[in-house]
Amino acid sequence: MKLRQLFTLDGVNLELESESKDDILKELIQLLDLEEKSEAILFKTLKRRENLGSTGIGKGIAIPHCRSLVVNELRLAYGRKPGGVDFNAIDGEPVYNFFLIVAPPLEVSNQYLPVLGKIAQFAKDPDIPGKLTEMEDPQDFLDLLEDRAP
Amino acid sequence: MTAAADRARMDPQLMLLLELQDLRAQRKELAESEQAGQVESEHFHIDPTAAGQELDLKIAELEGELDPGVRARYERILPSRDRVVVPVINGVCYGCFVSIPTATAGDQESHTDVQGCEHCGSFIYILG
Ligand SMILES: [Zn+2]
Repeated sequence: MKLRQLFTLDGVNLELESESKDDILKELIQLLDLEEKSEAILFKTLKRRENLGSTGIGKGIAIPHCRSLVVNELRLAYGRKPGGVDFNAIDGEPVYNFFLIVAPPLEVSNQYLPVLGKIAQFAKDPDIPGKLTEMEDPQDFLDLLEDRAP
Repeated sequence: MTAAADRARMDPQLMLLLELQDLRAQRKELAESEQAGQVESEHFHIDPTAAGQELDLKIAELEGELDPGVRARYERILPSRDRVVVPVINGVCYGCFVSIPTATAGDQESHTDVQGCEHCGSFIYILG
């Protein structure tokens, strides 16, 4: 399945407002529109993953990800923080673009790891950070995926 | 208590069980999926072995915080089932795929008690 098919307009926010890593994670989680209790669990699980090592892969991009019981299908969201935020990224630079990926513990289609790999591959394309900065509305994000993402 | 605060309230033991379930899912994936280790090390520079050990420590720590009764039941379920906590989706327990009586499901709405599926014994968490 192509990445474009896994994102919806509701799951895209080009103006994240948070100024800290924790708050960015919470703001991204809100894009998934879960119950408050589920949001709290997901935040803890994502934090545990970040504690193993930041998902900030460099070049201003982070891909927070985990499996969690609180979703019943693979869920993705994208957020952009125009001023950037310190995310303890591998290169020590601020992060501007966040791709959130959450999968249930068991998936029939087993898409989680392949999708995680595809996002990382897409994000590492040298053109992409610049294109992400230029986007003006959420539809531009979906169009970019359509054009450029595996 | 405000309605919002009430919605956000969760039994701390259920919270622990859910956290444990999620950590166990990550742990299992790292242990069993070569692809998981590959993706984590290639893109995120994670050492899968060290990450697995760190998760084991965290899991043991959280298990230590379970109340004795919950802990005993947790340990009873663990050897026979992959998952200790299972979601209930549209009234169906995803541990055994049996319909849970509406009354039981209704009681779970508040998530204030740690409850289990009467059929398979798994701890349950109502989803959507
Ligand atoms: Zn059951």
